[in-house]
Amino acid sequence: MTWAVEAEGLRKTYPGRTGEVEAVRGVDLHVRAGEVFGFLGPNGAGKSTTVRMLTTLLTITAGRATIAGTDVAKDPDGVRRKIGVALQEAGLDPRQTGRELLTLQARLYGSTAAEAKDVAQAQLELVDLVESGDRRIKEYSGGMKRRLDLASALVHEPEVLFLDEPTTGLDPASRITIWEEVRRINARGTTVFLTTQYLEEADQLCDRLAIIDGGTIVLEGTPSDLKADLRERKQLSEEPTLDDVFLDATGRTRTRVAGEVAEVQA
Amino acid sequence: MRQTLLLSSRALRESVRTPEALFPTLFIPLFFLVVNVGQAGKIFPGTSTAFLHGQGYAGFQLPSSLLLGASFGSAALFLVEDIEGGYFDRLRATPISRTALVLSRLLAESVKALLLTAVLVAISLLLGVRVASGIGGFLLILLLNAAWAVVYAGFMQLIALKTRSGAATQSGGLVFFPLLFLTPSFVPRTMLTRPMEIAASCNPVTYIMEALRTLVLGHVDWGSVGLGFAVVAGLGVVMLALNLRMIRNYD
Ligand SMILES: Nc1ncnc2c1ncn2[C@@H]1O[C@H](COP(=O)(O)OP(=O)(O)OP(=O)(O)O)[C@@H](O)[C@H]1O
Ligand SMILES: [Mg+2]
Repeated sequence: MTWAVEAEGLRKTYPGRTGEVEAVRGVDLHVRAGEVFGFLGPNGAGKSTTVRMLTTLLTITAGRATIAGTDVAKDPDGVRRKIGVALQEAGLDPRQTGRELLTLQARLYGSTAAEAKDVAQAQLELVDLVESGDRRIKEYSGGMKRRLDLASALVHEPEVLFLDEPTTGLDPASRITIWEEVRRINARGTTVFLTTQYLEEADQLCDRLAIIDGGTIVLEGTPSDLKADLRERKQLSEEPTLDDVFLDATGRTRTRVAGEVAEVQA
Repeated sequence: MRQTLLLSSRALRESVRTPEALFPTLFIPLFFLVVNVGQAGKIFPGTSTAFLHGQGYAGFQLPSSLLLGASFGSAALFLVEDIEGGYFDRLRATPISRTALVLSRLLAESVKALLLTAVLVAISLLLGVRVASGIGGFLLILLLNAAWAVVYAGFMQLIALKTRSGAATQSGGLVFFPLLFLTPSFVPRTMLTRPMEIAASCNPVTYIMEALRTLVLGHVDWGSVGLGFAVVAGLGVVMLALNLRMIRNYD
């Protein structure tokens, strides 16, 4: 079987002023075609670095990765045609209108002017931005920018969609809108690889997830399996939440986190 | 090529929508032209100054102003905005050639520089300048000045790609000071003091300025026109190669 995303021993070392920073230290990933895969981890765990390597934006220090059978390092353009990317910081051009941005994006993937026009319209409809489509992006709200960013990752109907913290900074209603869009995209057959800080989001959306901490994967499985495992291991009387799984896996207990917070307050 | 054109037209649209970035490239050169002529015009009257070939001092100053107008490197300032704002990563994630990513802004810069140069020359005609080499010479002036704009923007793009910081790119732009003023900008090279003459002779911009000048003032010295084009072509090849290397290794 070809995996939608496959990585083996993925590493990234950044050159830093005070020596090298090992941001990702040997990550293995196996994402099935058609699933929504969650990539969780605390700040600085290496989520964005992993996504940037998988999406050809960052060179791979060691290890190897393929997207739907295409090697990221050997055939980056082949990979670029198969993936859509919405990074942690929305990558938009404030001086274009939403429609212009989507049209240009479609044309860069090879659409003709006429095709691109239709694609832009369809994408604006998908993310509910038709009314603001002809306004400059600098006038958009944060939520609108996120949605446009998502739409521009989809113009070429990618096989695999990478979303790095798609809902960070959004209000609860906008967050739910994005979730619905992700579900709809996934229902069309697109594999989704998403990173998030919100465990509820992972619980809601993801078929399977991996937790990364300090550059290595510490836990992997379906949300319900991970919860059941923890319950059995800790002999808990009630079903744990994904929060509990996350805190347990990253070696952060509730009391310790509470203690740190108290220290900060003191 | 198609991708380069798509991205260039986006870059031009961006410029049209940012007139505040365009105006200084027109007004600052005109300001210097008027001020410099006002300062030194009387010392060098057209009728009795041999190196003016019968023109006023404005004709001698015009090339300095044209080069100044072509040395803003706005392509790189827009590029660094793309980098800082994340749009550059979105473009990098598309399967377009890496060459198109760096070339498109330079192409747009050349279009802007052609227009700007034409406007500056047109305004200078109102100030009494005559392009003695005629329409053909005028076209060569446009071409040479636009080529310089591309070289300069290419250099600034290197700083933008390397530092990825708007502030650093802007201060990198300050090299236009030595480049444009360590030149025979007020008098011909032969009339400079010895140290200044040596500095000017080492500065490639000197040869571009001299080529533009012979095209404006007449008695066209084809040797120096050829040299100007050769210098700009050489620098252009170097900048292009360095830009391509930089984008290929961009991480
Ligand atoms: N360009 C860089 N140069 C040097 N170090 C970097 C660079 N980018 C990230 N790092 C370091 O690599 C580590 C992983 O960063 P990364 O951005 O991948 O984490 P993350 O899991 O996405 O965090 P967050 O949840 O805060 O977005 C961090 O220690 C970070 O400081
Ligand atoms: Mg991140």
